[in-house]
Amino acid sequence: MRVDVLIIGGGATGAGIARDLALRGVDCLLLEMGDLCHGASGGNHGLLHSGGRYAVKDPASATECALENAILRRIAPFCIEDTGGLFVSLPEDDPSFAGTFIGSCRSTGVQMEELTAKEALLSEPGLSSRVTGCLKVNDGSIDPFSLVQANVDDARSNGAKVLNHCAVTGMTVEDEMVTEVKVRDRRGGLPSAIFPDMVVNAAGAWVDEVAKLAGCRVPMGLDQGSMLVLDGRQCRHVVNRLRPPSNGDIAVPNHTSTILGTTSRPASAPDDVTVSREDVDLLIKEASAMLPSLRECRAIRTYGGVRPLVGGGGRKASRSFAMLSEERAGNILSVAGGKLTTYRLMAEKVADRVCEMLGNSSNCRTHQEPLGPPADGKGDSISTARLIRKYGRTVSSIDTADPRMICSCEQVLRSEVTAVLKAGDAMTLADVMRRTRAGMGYCQGFDCSLSVLEIMMEEGHLDPISSLSEFLRERGRGLEQASGDQLRQEILRQQVLKGVYGLEGKQ
Amino acid sequence: MSHVLVVGNGAAGTFSSWLLAKRGWRVTLVGRGTPSTAMSTGCLRSGPNLCRAEISEFLDNEKMPWTSGSREGISKIGTSYRCWNSPSHSTWNDSDAPKSIAVVGLDGHPSLQPHIISALLNARKIEARPFIIPSQVPSDVPLASSFLKDEAWETLAEELQGLSTEAILLPSFVTLQDYHRLDQLERRCGRTVMEAIAPLGAAGQRLADLMRWKAADSGVIIWDGRRATALDVQADAVRGATIAGGREVRDIAVDAVIIATGGPLVDGLVLKERDIGDPFGKFQIVRSEDPLKGGYDSSDGMLINISGRVMNNVAGAGDCISSEGRIYGSGLTEALESAYLAVRALEGA
Repeated sequence: MRVDVLIIGGGATGAGIARDLALRGVDCLLLEMGDLCHGASGGNHGLLHSGGRYAVKDPASATECALENAILRRIAPFCIEDTGGLFVSLPEDDPSFAGTFIGSCRSTGVQMEELTAKEALLSEPGLSSRVTGCLKVNDGSIDPFSLVQANVDDARSNGAKVLNHCAVTGMTVEDEMVTEVKVRDRRGGLPSAIFPDMVVNAAGAWVDEVAKLAGCRVPMGLDQGSMLVLDGRQCRHVVNRLRPPSNGDIAVPNHTSTILGTTSRPASAPDDVTVSREDVDLLIKEASAMLPSLRECRAIRTYGGVRPLVGGGGRKASRSFAMLSEERAGNILSVAGGKLTTYRLMAEKVADRVCEMLGNSSNCRTHQEPLGPPADGKGDSISTARLIRKYGRTVSSIDTADPRMICSCEQVLRSEVTAVLKAGDAMTLADVMRRTRAGMGYCQGFDCSLSVLEIMMEEGHLDPISSLSEFLRERGRGLEQASGDQLRQEILRQQVLKGVYGLEGKQ
Repeated sequence: MSHVLVVGNGAAGTFSSWLLAKRGWRVTLVGRGTPSTAMSTGCLRSGPNLCRAEISEFLDNEKMPWTSGSREGISKIGTSYRCWNSPSHSTWNDSDAPKSIAVVGLDGHPSLQPHIISALLNARKIEARPFIIPSQVPSDVPLASSFLKDEAWETLAEELQGLSTEAILLPSFVTLQDYHRLDQLERRCGRTVMEAIAPLGAAGQRLADLMRWKAADSGVIIWDGRRATALDVQADAVRGATIAGGREVRDIAVDAVIIATGGPLVDGLVLKERDIGDPFGKFQIVRSEDPLKGGYDSSDGMLINISGRVMNNVAGAGDCISSEGRIYGSGLTEALESAYLAVRALEGA
């Protein structure tokens, strides 16, 4: 199979590149080894950065975030919740940091407004009464699954081909050019070799592994971050700590939950996402210093992500991105680093370079063309607004006249699952979950996974036990640090799965 | 007549109450709500070594016939489920295993997953096929509530008339009062009617109802929706208890107590963070890596107080007793066995 541009990696960056190139009329194919958002695009806290967090230490990233924040609110409002963000300081924080922060926001173009502690408490009643000062910024929460799917859908409607569950397994380099790319296709139907003119390596944390297939290296710092999901929306705003970026200083309200983030430690591999008990304790301790009631909340699960950082890793590493081309294989372009918030900008820069190399003179249009419907919420019922947030433009494919619910934690309709399966990208239970949220609630799929699997079995080409075990094993990993009521539920879940259903050994 | 207070209305609590009442004690049973027995599959897995004649006698009843011996049933997801004591429609004898099964699901209702089950049975060379009955039951409403009327059963029987398979597998939704209808259905269809093994549903509730009924029938005074909030301990014996429910709080005098509050799953033992603790604050707790194995420390069935002395008149029964050897699936039988031992310990005291 011949293609002008082969894009490797179905995270926000890869999907953004596919869309950008498709809008410029470039023939492209995107391959993702897992599901869309397999890596850091799915393993983050769903924060739409205002840029505030990087204003002091990483001004270039801050400016990028501020500009992209405004663009995303315009082109992808359906998957963004305009919560606003607060940076709050506590008595133990360095009082001079606020001044530095304000100055940096001004110089980087990050919009910011000063609130008194009293005003802050009025707008965010859960804040600690110890708060001494507060700055309000344009943070928001964003649904990365919905954003990436919308990019993929739009890329497809402009001619791109996008396949998840297709892994690149090898490359042939001749005369310093990648001539052939071998793939392993879990869904079938794709030839085992692709012959691209150009290869874009947007594999995120796996970017170096993909580069190695072409005999190149991309120096990366892999950095693991842990997150904790709390049941319910525990704050109105994104709440940040007004201090230099450090562990456990953010709470993001997202859909039906609140996500506490994050930690930072070197990761040994792109899939080294393990969350420790210490991480969980730290996240709760730090976030509850700002929002004391978080201490009493039910923690649903933990998850981790691996940040692919350019150059080195850690808190001090730049959150900016870089494009690297190599002499050893002149037609492979690797892109690394960046943020979810700046995915579009990264895609634009990469697409510019690709077009330059291909001799295509079209301009980028991704900052102008909307990715989905506006979601101002006016006139929409809560359930409609929730559906638009998850499905954007494709919301019309859901039969809302069928009231049957399949996941009572997340209020997912049966017709959402059938619509997602019909769309064709979802091959596994987890794929359905990422699109519908069925299984993300406090029962972690214990209740709905059987119903979703039953619908998948009606089509009939799955191995039910391995599909179920794979899904429940992944959910179970997020419950390893469960405590209190969530632990009680997890014990029950384990006993039923192993004891009654006989899934022992397969768990 | 000695007065014994039994705290906990699950399998261990009801069985020990029944045994004590039959042996001439005045028994008061308090239970604060749904016990974990009601969340079980309603089947007993452990074999004859743990199944005393008294347990068989306790389970024997005219409302829901029991079978015993190593038999096989089909779980709600289609996997094989082997157990020793079960309601007659839950399992088959290996020699009677049906060759063909129609797996009945109510359209869109999560009570049974016919396509998953059929695929798994087919993989085991049992001919199975989904049979979907149109249904208007919302997915979050238990099926049992839709089968309270004769008409619903009549409709079900009519739907099943045309099936030609040797057996019919139904979701688990039958209450204790309605269990005889499965026999009627079987006669009318001329097919074996089986019920899928499902936790957290009708079968467990049915067993809990059965046990409660047997206890009440033997003269046990049952106080529902109440909990023991305090125990009056003098020296190494309990002399009284405070029982609270709604706005009513009562102090009662007791000669003996059986604590059968269950394991950490339904909060009989308070689960805090990753550990468990005694809700009364009077007894020793054995802590374990696996919360299911932790619980009250005991000596020959009698609980040990926080000073380390064996109580004179307080026995523990069921999952609240710590047990390193507890394995999953023996839960109900072991709970009953430990209730038996608790009663013997009290009688010996």
